[in-house]
Amino acid sequence: MVDPGNQRQRTRPAWLNQYELVGKIGEGTYGLVYLARSKLPHHRGVRIAIKKFKQSKEGDGVSPTAIREIMLLRECVHENIVKLVDVHINYGDMSLYLAFDYAEHDLYEIIRHHREKLSSPINQYTVKSLLWQILNGLNYLHSNWIIHRDLKPSNILVMGEGEEQGVVKIGDFGLARVHQAPLKPLCDNGVVVTIWYRAPELLLGAKHYTSAVDMWAVGCIFAELLTLKPLFQGIEDKNGPNPFQADQLEKIFKTLGHPTPDRWPTLLNLPFWQANRNFIQGKKYENPGLYSIVQQPAKSPAFDLLSKMLEYDPAKRISAAQALDHHYFRTEPLPGRNALVPGSPGEKAVGYPNRPVDYSTDFDGSTAPPQSNSNLAPLQQQQMQRNEHMMQVPQMHQQLHMQGMQRIPQNSNMGNYGVGNQQGRRKEPDSGNQNYSGYQLPNKSRRM
Amino acid sequence: MAANFWASSHCKKLLDADEVGHVLPADQERGLTPEDVKLIKIHLSTYIKLLAQNTKVRQRVVATAIAYFRRVYTRKSFSEFDPRLVAPTCLYLASKAEESTVQAKLLVFYMKKILSEEKGFRYEIKDVLEMEMRLLEALDFYLVIYHPYRPLIQLLQDAGLTDIIQTVWSIVNDSYRTDLILMYPPFMIALGCIYIACVIKDKETRGWFEELRVDMYVIKNIAMEILDFYENYRNIPEERINAAMAKLPQRS
Repeated sequence: MVDPGNQRQRTRPAWLNQYELVGKIGEGTYGLVYLARSKLPHHRGVRIAIKKFKQSKEGDGVSPTAIREIMLLRECVHENIVKLVDVHINYGDMSLYLAFDYAEHDLYEIIRHHREKLSSPINQYTVKSLLWQILNGLNYLHSNWIIHRDLKPSNILVMGEGEEQGVVKIGDFGLARVHQAPLKPLCDNGVVVTIWYRAPELLLGAKHYTSAVDMWAVGCIFAELLTLKPLFQGIEDKNGPNPFQADQLEKIFKTLGHPTPDRWPTLLNLPFWQANRNFIQGKKYENPGLYSIVQQPAKSPAFDLLSKMLEYDPAKRISAAQALDHHYFRTEPLPGRNALVPGSPGEKAVGYPNRPVDYSTDFDGSTAPPQSNSNLAPLQQQQMQRNEHMMQVPQMHQQLHMQGMQRIPQNSNMGNYGVGNQQGRRKEPDSGNQNYSGYQLPNKSRRM
Repeated sequence: MAANFWASSHCKKLLDADEVGHVLPADQERGLTPEDVKLIKIHLSTYIKLLAQNTKVRQRVVATAIAYFRRVYTRKSFSEFDPRLVAPTCLYLASKAEESTVQAKLLVFYMKKILSEEKGFRYEIKDVLEMEMRLLEALDFYLVIYHPYRPLIQLLQDAGLTDIIQTVWSIVNDSYRTDLILMYPPFMIALGCIYIACVIKDKETRGWFEELRVDMYVIKNIAMEILDFYENYRNIPEERINAAMAKLPQRS
């Protein structure tokens, strides 16, 4: 019998013919993300994001992150959850490829565009629609006992032009877990959730946590949509496993006031609350100023919902289902399916930039090693030409400042399709680079 | 989905009796009979359990691994996929899916230890890692499996029968020596196991079963399948297993 493994090593995997590679759109610790177009007859031209998982370095096969993502997304069917279209294997280099419906935007880029380019807030209709859809997806996950655990703006994807324009897709399930009956405590596989969006119970060392950690993150994202700035930008302490994040807590306390055992009875049981008594309980912030930061009247529905998401006690924090029922969503402007249309007639739609694509990358490891390089150049040139054409069309009428040439902000994080490293919050772009006078063609490989 | 069996891929992929236990053409050519197939599956299920005890993973991982194993062989032949490699790899994959990863190195150590006497049986880490990917493909990347253990506890509490939980639990464990997990919703299997335990322990539960409004015909079928295992396959003579295994291609 022929060993299929060996046979496969010598040939391009057949599934590659289903796709026409456009380029690289992201890079993370466990692999790369590509943009491709489907060549299948009934999906011809449909854009697909392909996340490549390298074999883990420890010699332990498919990474548990990939297993988690496949396992959960294969079961999830919901308009606000990213759709796993296909999974492919390349036996040549033992890598795994996850194919998703491509989303042109994410909240990280949308927020950044408003902050750095437009210097104007996101309109209320868009904020509300985005938030409603995030909660709608999260409610689906939570009612199925899945905690996402890594919600942050770059993991909230938004569909670009097409039938699903402006629809939110929650992405990156690499840390998601079913918490119905864990065989091990949930804290076992390391600290989770990017520090800025991390719930206070996690910062204080909780061993067992719940879907409420996702709601805290949504609260932080909500505030960021309103102000265009991360709400609690603490500096991460990277000493040792799960260190005490003093600065992050300090930022939270300053804004929300100190938590008290009165309002949060289980606080006394949290490891870091006791161990860092002096630090945490020494200072007292008496005058919480959340409403002045988010510039919302303290009695507005938006502020009421936000403060319920940022409730200290996870048991009292609002759930996704309750939040969807909040009167904020029943007051004008009402949320809609396409979050990116203008809030009111006469207003102009904001043209968000397309995700930057690095056209100089191939699906590496997918072609036979000796011939691949010689074949690559002409193929890529073709792709470049095709893509330039493709990219210009939508951009011309979308945006005035994106004229003609394909341009990629030099300092942009290669459009993260949610592949950041697990702890990796994305760094703020250098402040000196905000006007993007220097658009340049991609010439360096970009890392997040 | 994770908490809703009825919306899960597991539920959608439940099979009829004629879709399990059949002999695939490649295996027919090698002279494997339905009985051989049954013996090999039981033998390798035991092997998975043994490996799990050595690598210290829990019953739920074993249950998921055996479900993978049995599901793979409804589509793939033993001739193409050597069950002596597939079985441990199912445990390896299940340990990841159930968030209690076993190191490939450790697994291979115990594979060699347990079956060292069998000739031609030498699989290394790289074989397990390649098979892991082929398994993912063979399973069509569906990895969530529901088990009777959780509904079992709820049902016993409801029936006021928590005193027989140990007995029923062992019967559920033994139900994995059959293809039942591929054919019936887990709570039905749990009910079948409760039914058997009530007969053994002489519990009067007819009224309770009637109130559940489940199809008793199906429950009895499940019970019969498990009883068949107890009567005919609990202690399989080694020579019968060896004879069946001898029909598999030997590794060169």
